[in-house]
Amino acid sequence: MLDEGRFDHILDPTGLSRRPAQRSSAARRLPALTHARVGLLNNTKQNAGPLLAELGRLLARDYGATVAIQRTKHTIAFPVDEPSLKEIAAVSDVVIVGVGDCGSCSASAVADGIAFEREGVPAAVICSDAFEVTARAMADVHGAADFEFLTTPHPVAVLNPDQVNARAAELVPAVLARVSEAVADKVPETAS
Amino acid sequence: MTGHTATDTTLSQSEIEYIYEKGWTDGLPVVPPTRERTDELLATTNRPADEIIGRLDHLKREVTVELAAINSVMAGCRPEYFPVVLACWDALMLERATVGGGWQSTSGPAPLIVVNGPIRERLGFNSTGGVFGPGFRANATVARAIGLIVRNALGIVPHVFEQATQGIPGRWAMCIGENEEESPWEPLSVDGGVPAGADAVSTTLLRTSEYVDNRHTADPEKLLADFADTISRTGSWIFRNAAAGIVFCPEHAQLLAGAGMTKDDVRSWLVTRCGRPTADLVRVGKALTDKGARGDHGEDERAAEGFEPLFAEDSPKHLPIMVAGARNAGISMVVRLFGIWSGISARVDPTPDGL
Repeated sequence: MLDEGRFDHILDPTGLSRRPAQRSSAARRLPALTHARVGLLNNTKQNAGPLLAELGRLLARDYGATVAIQRTKHTIAFPVDEPSLKEIAAVSDVVIVGVGDCGSCSASAVADGIAFEREGVPAAVICSDAFEVTARAMADVHGAADFEFLTTPHPVAVLNPDQVNARAAELVPAVLARVSEAVADKVPETAS
Repeated sequence: MTGHTATDTTLSQSEIEYIYEKGWTDGLPVVPPTRERTDELLATTNRPADEIIGRLDHLKREVTVELAAINSVMAGCRPEYFPVVLACWDALMLERATVGGGWQSTSGPAPLIVVNGPIRERLGFNSTGGVFGPGFRANATVARAIGLIVRNALGIVPHVFEQATQGIPGRWAMCIGENEEESPWEPLSVDGGVPAGADAVSTTLLRTSEYVDNRHTADPEKLLADFADTISRTGSWIFRNAAAGIVFCPEHAQLLAGAGMTKDDVRSWLVTRCGRPTADLVRVGKALTDKGARGDHGEDERAAEGFEPLFAEDSPKHLPIMVAGARNAGISMVVRLFGIWSGISARVDPTPDGL
């Protein structure tokens, strides 16, 4: 145990006087995705676009959702800008963000998800499992330490199109459970 | 006896252990940052302690002059080094990567810090033999201070927000004085907009550095061709273009200058020639797409034609050139830039007492 009082004369080099205040980030889940409008936020990481597109296609085909808007982030390393956040949230009942597959973009994808939840839109954030720690730390920084994000095995960037589609199919049950109260019947068949 | 009591020794040891337990060190022991020690550094600048000199909004972190001073104390800086740390930090904040996601990058970059002007002599910055260190307090502690600021004040801690796959050798240890006395050319800081003879710091993030040992030819074009070969390797080339710098040893610089080449001549020679046949890049899975990205899309190297230049521009931002090291051998360093250099050097402010 540290006797903190004994070291009061040592200055704190971090500037953190306290942890960020934690506040709820959870939006209300949808009962089902039937007729739900899905927003897709592509962070520009290699294969993010095709993975999100396939997820949107499967949610439309198997659960009656509609892809309402697809946007690409301007800067991969930073959280989504306010105008894009509002634009996507305005026309989406649920949002999917991905793919957190690098040092800074995994963290910023989690920040995006928290921002959408605070706008009242349930969000599924997909990160490569190699970046779980940094994504978790980002949730803490943004005051939502218990924010749940989805992971997919690393790497994502080098997958071929069939493999990307297979990943999307594997992710469907988790995305569904993350944004709605619906339960997946099974992992959907992929085109391959 | 030095006057230290057993109690003092026990306290300083426990202070060091306390700082380890708080997670505030880079792995080596630090100097405990007390109010008194920190104030000695703050006294070397007119800038207010609460001035914000850096921020990462997405991580909700800020760097103030005071936090920079606390971390500089920890790094082992003497008070008079602090204006150099501040100038270095200012220059670093002009780099696109440092205010973006660069510190969090899997590439694990770190700044190369170059000091110019009389302050090198005054504060004891090494600019000659063994310039990449270690062994010199000013070089070692200024570079380390920057690393501690990034770790502690910006919160970029390894395995958490610092996601380096391997990181670069020499991280937080690359601070060199330019060997202006044996350089045939203008200092790097002149390329950065500061007049020769003024105290200045230039910096950019590196991904690594690699030597060119050529004690074999007196022909300037053959010598430069050796540099072009190292600069043009495919492994470090990931986007449409790449950037690199050269820390010439005095011998190489003098050979080139002796053949009548200015720094601009050297740069132009290299910018024209550095690059690879397209087929070489296709062969390693780095074919250029029409969107400007590189990747493997099953292209046939036999059908690939043309030559792809490595550098996007003939400019010190893309190919900074400086001179450092001893004049005892023809061994120079190619440094790999994370992005491109801002092209702006920061002046070192004089201390309030005019030193």
